[in-house]
Amino acid sequence: MRRGLALYAVAAYAFLHLPLAILVLFSFNSARFTVWEGLSLRWYTAAFSNTQLAEATLNSLIIGVVATASATVIGTLAAYGLWKRDLKWLTGSLALTLVTPEIVMGISLLVFFQWIFRFLHVQLGLHTVILAHISFSIAYVMIVVLARLRGFDATLEEAAMDLGATEWQAFRRVTLPLLVPGIAAAALLAFTTSFDDYVITSLVAGVNSETLPMVLYAIARRGANPMVNAISALIVTGLGVLIAVSERIGRLKPALRSG
Amino acid sequence: MTRRTLFFLGIPGLAGCSGRRRLRLNVFNWSNYIADDTLPRFETETGIRVRYAIYESNEEMLARVLTGNSGWDIVFPSHYYIQPMRDLGLLQRLDLARLPNVKHFDTMFQAPPWDARHEWSLPYMWGGCGIAYSPNVQPEPRRWRDLWDPRWKGKVTMLDDPNEVFGAALKMLGASVNSTSEAELRSAQQLALQQKPLLQAYLNAEVRDQLVAGDVWAAQMWGTIAQQAIDAAPHLNFCYPEEGFSLYADNAAILKESRRAELAHQFLDYLLRPQVNADVVKAVRSATANRSARELLPPALANLETLYPHEETLKRGEWFAPLPAATLRLRDRLWTEIKASG
Amino acid sequence: MERLRRLFLAPAVLVVVLLFLAPLTVVLAYSFLTRGAYGGVGLPWTAESWARLADPLYLGILGRSFVVAAISTVICLLMGFPLALFIARSGERKNLWLSLVMLPFWTSFLVRTYAWMFLLRDTGLFNTILLALGIIHQPLPLLYNYPAVIVGLVYGYLPFMVLPLYASLERQDPVLLEAAEDLGARPWQSAWRVTVPLAVPGIRAGAILVFIPCLGAYLTPDLLGGGKTILVGTLIQNQFTNSRDWPFGAAISLLLMGLVMALLMVLVRKRKEVL
Repeated sequence: MRRGLALYAVAAYAFLHLPLAILVLFSFNSARFTVWEGLSLRWYTAAFSNTQLAEATLNSLIIGVVATASATVIGTLAAYGLWKRDLKWLTGSLALTLVTPEIVMGISLLVFFQWIFRFLHVQLGLHTVILAHISFSIAYVMIVVLARLRGFDATLEEAAMDLGATEWQAFRRVTLPLLVPGIAAAALLAFTTSFDDYVITSLVAGVNSETLPMVLYAIARRGANPMVNAISALIVTGLGVLIAVSERIGRLKPALRSG
Repeated sequence: MTRRTLFFLGIPGLAGCSGRRRLRLNVFNWSNYIADDTLPRFETETGIRVRYAIYESNEEMLARVLTGNSGWDIVFPSHYYIQPMRDLGLLQRLDLARLPNVKHFDTMFQAPPWDARHEWSLPYMWGGCGIAYSPNVQPEPRRWRDLWDPRWKGKVTMLDDPNEVFGAALKMLGASVNSTSEAELRSAQQLALQQKPLLQAYLNAEVRDQLVAGDVWAAQMWGTIAQQAIDAAPHLNFCYPEEGFSLYADNAAILKESRRAELAHQFLDYLLRPQVNADVVKAVRSATANRSARELLPPALANLETLYPHEETLKRGEWFAPLPAATLRLRDRLWTEIKASG
Repeated sequence: MERLRRLFLAPAVLVVVLLFLAPLTVVLAYSFLTRGAYGGVGLPWTAESWARLADPLYLGILGRSFVVAAISTVICLLMGFPLALFIARSGERKNLWLSLVMLPFWTSFLVRTYAWMFLLRDTGLFNTILLALGIIHQPLPLLYNYPAVIVGLVYGYLPFMVLPLYASLERQDPVLLEAAEDLGARPWQSAWRVTVPLAVPGIRAGAILVFIPCLGAYLTPDLLGGGKTILVGTLIQNQFTNSRDWPFGAAISLLLMGLVMALLMVLVRKRKEVL
């Protein structure tokens, strides 16, 4: 069974990564259109010298980090609170955020912001994008953490409280540490969704808050442009390094604790 | 934690504060409509920093500026949007005294029907819609009807634009592209429905890549994009159909909400400068409304038939016009039916 | 307990009310207004947009979207479950395998979609290989149809299935499997009778996370469907741009949301907890 699973996993990972590999391969194509002509780094040079791209990437990172951090915290706390005792309308509303098509969320936020901003002399910008991202990320976090809490043993906390802990301490010292893998998975999901988002972001972004997907979409829309491939290759490499590093750190922690 | 969120929200605000001292202009344009050095040269010359973003359709642009609080200063609507935008109170009157370079317009655009005195808009680039094709298609297509030929099944694309698809079909029926007649529109729809099974897809500018690669053999395409494809693959060709074709002109306009009219006029005048305009054309391969710019171009570029149809050909062209609401609704319904079929 | 719980729930309540419910109320209001000729809305109040929903043209589009989303979800489940199982049992390297699942999704989805277009085109990789091997003599039309859209959707949403499945599987006590083994079950049997039923909360979460976005997706179907297909996401998007019929777009959106909420409520009634 293990071998069967491993074999399947290989095929599945191939499915996931093959399109990407081809993308990276063609980022080294010297021709502009998708006919292979020869090796070249011109698209990478173009990507690096593109200031619009650099600004957009920075925006995407800022938005991603802030929105993910906020959504993870808010969502985890909410999941815990709902696990203790359900609040039907909140759970329902959060489910509704998942159910709402992106275009609808985007439009509704856009219209809402426009209406409010008439009284506040503010315009669409980075802040509106961050708020929008928090809005749609919370539900993802909540679902993942709640799914994990469901399989959780509630008596652990009771035991802690019997031993004199306050409910806050019980949460912080007993439940929270055990939730960390679930929270990490949820944060990963939230960041991905945020970094990747085009529809909602493009609707509520302002004049100076272009994100990476928006720029990529603009470039790619004009026809196949290997600069898009180069950018993707850079993103994947950068994140690959980050993930490898966090993996390394993840393995150090248990060692530190036991040592 | 809510406090933390607010703190982080404050940072972009602070960053924005320092930037406000510099002169800034926000320009919203079609994709691929300026040269790489157009903006940097303007910034060096005037010290005005231009924030530039692009859109792919008039509707997309309109959706953003409709609220009157979008933050953009200059937009580039197609000519048949000028009157509606004016009616909606979205445009600012132009001060021709600050635009000395308007004298460079081609005769065709000195008193355009949609804005005869250039009160609201300045023609920028224009073009027509025709058929781009590869030598695989024999005999060479000359009419829209040729795109309905079952021999090319799966190798033909049409534009993903109801105006253009209906435009072509209406021309085949001998009607105007701006027809408001329900009977004519329904017949046009019938034609489109007959064609759909033969099509590979409804694609816009991205089909250029596919023409070059050989996935697509014939495509309904704007002259500008066709020329870009021909530059990349000289074996390709382009024609303006015999039944007639549609024309469009993209114009620069200042939004009413803009509080930087002075800077905006500077930028518009800059774009009208023959050398600047010519540089854009060299980069982008579009037909310019600027006669003096065209004179600065190498003859090979200035006389391209794809971009500047001969007078005889041009007679077959028809400018789009704004349509009444009822017609727009009908067309939209018919287009949705076409998309949902099959 | 109540105070802590209230405190914990407060931020979420704030966000949901201000950034979701209030804007949605605006959408609801829009659905009862009249369309402006060039977009936007205006008085008078009317139920015309809602009445138009009964039109078979739009119902057909909705139905087709359900089918496409359902097929994509099932494929994601079939592909995702063994993968999640593999990761959950991979011991120390769990995070690595998990990250490898997420890695493709750090590139723009647009780019990934373009990659599939490259693979599926008439002159794309698949057709080139098949032609070279002599298996076919004309390129197959692999792109610009509903199956291509499904492939794109599955590719796009597979991690949304894998992650919750993994979270649920990872929590399972290996003791249970050992017990099954002691009772004589073979690996496949215990997988089917122990692991899968216990993973149902994860399956449900994953199915929801995949089905819903697939239903409302519009960029993927638009690019891989080549404009020849129209699903409900595209229909809604069109109302706010090309068709400039905001009230109708609002009405379709709310109908869609209503249908899926009804679906969710059915699931909730069957079991005590779905989330």
